[in-house]
Amino acid sequence: MPSRRRTLLKVIILGDSGVGKTSLMNQYVNKKFSNQYKATIGADFLTKEVQFEDRLFTLQIWDTAGQERFQSLGVAFYRGADCCVLVYDVNSMKSFDNLNNWREEFLIQASPSDPDNFPFVVLGNKIDVDGGNSRVVSEKKARAWCASKGNIPYFETSAKEGINVEEAFQCIAKNALKSGEEEEIYLPDTIDVGNSSQPRSSGCEC
Amino acid sequence: MVKKKVPDWLNSSLWSTTTAPPPPDDDRPQRYAAPKPVAAAASAAEPPVPVVAPPAPAPTHVHAPVPVPVPPRDVVSVQQEPPKPQVIVSDTRPSNSDRNDDENGSFVQPQLLSELSKKVINVRELRRIAMQGIPDGAGIRSTVWKLLLGYLPPDRGLWPSELAKKRSQYKHFKDDLLVNPSEITRRLDKSTIYESEEWKCESSGFLSRSEITHDEHPLSLGKSSIWNQFFQDSEIMEQIDRDVKRTHPDMHFFSGDSSFAKSNQEALKNILIVFAKLNPGIRYVQGMNEILAPLYYVFKSDPDEEFSLMVTGVCFSHSISVCHWFCKFLLLAPFSFEFLPSKD
Repeated sequence: MPSRRRTLLKVIILGDSGVGKTSLMNQYVNKKFSNQYKATIGADFLTKEVQFEDRLFTLQIWDTAGQERFQSLGVAFYRGADCCVLVYDVNSMKSFDNLNNWREEFLIQASPSDPDNFPFVVLGNKIDVDGGNSRVVSEKKARAWCASKGNIPYFETSAKEGINVEEAFQCIAKNALKSGEEEEIYLPDTIDVGNSSQPRSSGCEC
Repeated sequence: MVKKKVPDWLNSSLWSTTTAPPPPDDDRPQRYAAPKPVAAAASAAEPPVPVVAPPAPAPTHVHAPVPVPVPPRDVVSVQQEPPKPQVIVSDTRPSNSDRNDDENGSFVQPQLLSELSKKVINVRELRRIAMQGIPDGAGIRSTVWKLLLGYLPPDRGLWPSELAKKRSQYKHFKDDLLVNPSEITRRLDKSTIYESEEWKCESSGFLSRSEITHDEHPLSLGKSSIWNQFFQDSEIMEQIDRDVKRTHPDMHFFSGDSSFAKSNQEALKNILIVFAKLNPGIRYVQGMNEILAPLYYVFKSDPDEEFSLMVTGVCFSHSISVCHWFCKFLLLAPFSFEFLPSKD
C-alpha cells in the first residue's frame, strides 16, 4: 500500500488590512511584487510545489481579507489548516497589537486538535519602508511576544524587496508538514450517489 | 437572522417622484428629446450615415441634442487604458458636426435613443435594449444607468426637479456627516463661552475639582458625544482610505499623484463614508469600493459634468442596496450572510 501521508499542506495568512498579505504570497509564489494590489475580498489562494526531503508537496496558501467584517467567514477558510501565518506591518503598532486577536480568533474558529502546539509563524513585513525610519515595532518587542506564545518562529520580511520571504515560507512549509504528518488522516464515510435504491428520508419533502 | 428593514432615509419622501415643473433654464430634458432638425436627420430618424468629420474644438456647453457614438478606436482605447477623462470628455462630447459610426452599436443605438427620447421612458424596455450594450460617449451610459438604478424617474419631465432635490440631499448628507468634530465643538463653544467665564469669576478660595463631563470634548465617553463617535468612525475611515488608494491602481483616473486622481479618490472616500454612516448595519465592507468605482467613473465622465458629480453618491446607495438585497436573498442566504449583518 502506498504511503498515505498527505501531500497537500494548507497554510492560512492572517493579519490586519494592508499589512501586505497578498504581496507576501505573490512574492513567494510568483517572485513578483506590484504596487497595484487591490484589497482582497473574502479570500484567495495560490498553490506552490515544494520539495522537502525528496518528497513533493503542494503548499496551498490562503490569503484572507484583512477587514474584521470578513472574520465570520473564518470557519470555512481556516478549517483543516496545517499552519497559520500572522502578518503585521512593522510601521504600524496597531497591526502588531492585533496579532493577539488574530491568533485567538484563529484558534477559536479553526479549533485545531492541539491548540497549544498548533504551528504559527509571525512575519513583520514592510521593513524596507523609508529605510526603516518609520518603523515603530522593534524586533525585540516582536520576538518577545513570539516567545511568550510558545516560541513562534519570527521573520522580518519585505515583500517588495523579496527579503526573507523565501526563508519564511520554507519555515512555514516545514512546520505545516510537521503538523500535517502528526495528524491522523480522517476519511469520512463516502456517500454512494450512484446507488438510487437507498431509501429516501421520510421527512418533509417540500 | 434579524429581519432586514429598509433604512428610513431610503424611504424618505425625497426619493419619491412628485410633480414639479422643471426649471426653465435647464436644458437637460431636451438632450434626448425633440432633436434639432439638422441633427435629427442624420442620426435618430434615418439610418446612420458614416460621416467623417474632425472633432470640433470642445464647446463649453453641449449644443448637439443627439448623442453621437464614438468611433470604435476610441472605445478600444478607453477600455484598455482609459486616458484622463478630460480627454474622453472632449472626444465624446457631441460636436456640431455629426460623427456617426456604423460598426459600433449601430443596432442598439437607434432603439436606445428612441426609447430615451420618449417622454415617459419604459424602463423594462430600456433594460432589454441595454442588455445588448450601451455605446460610449455623450453620457448615454450614465443616463441609462441612472434610469435602471431607479435614480432617475421614468418621466423625463421630472428629471430637473428630481436631480436638484437629490443633489441637495447628498450635499446635506455631506455637510452633516463629514464635518470634523472640532468644527462642531467650536461652534458649540461659542455659545457657551460666556457662561464659563461667569463661573470663573464666582469661584474663589479652593479650586473646585473639575469633573470630566460627557459634553463635547475629545476625552468624552458619552455615548452621544460626537468625539466618541468620531474615534469609533476613524477605524472605518482608515479602512476606506486604504482601499480607495488601492482602487484600480492601474488607471490614472483613480490612482497616482495628480490632483485629478486625488480629487476622485476624495470623492470616492466621501461617498463611502456617507454610505457607511447612513447604514450603520452595513457600514463599509471591503469590495464596495469596487462597486462604486465604475459608477463613479461613468458618471464623472459624463460630458455634462455638472449633471453628474453629486449624483454618484446617491446612485451608489441605490446600487449597493440592490446588490445587498440581491446577495442576501438570492446568492448567499443559504450560507448565512454574516458579513453584512442586519442590525439597522
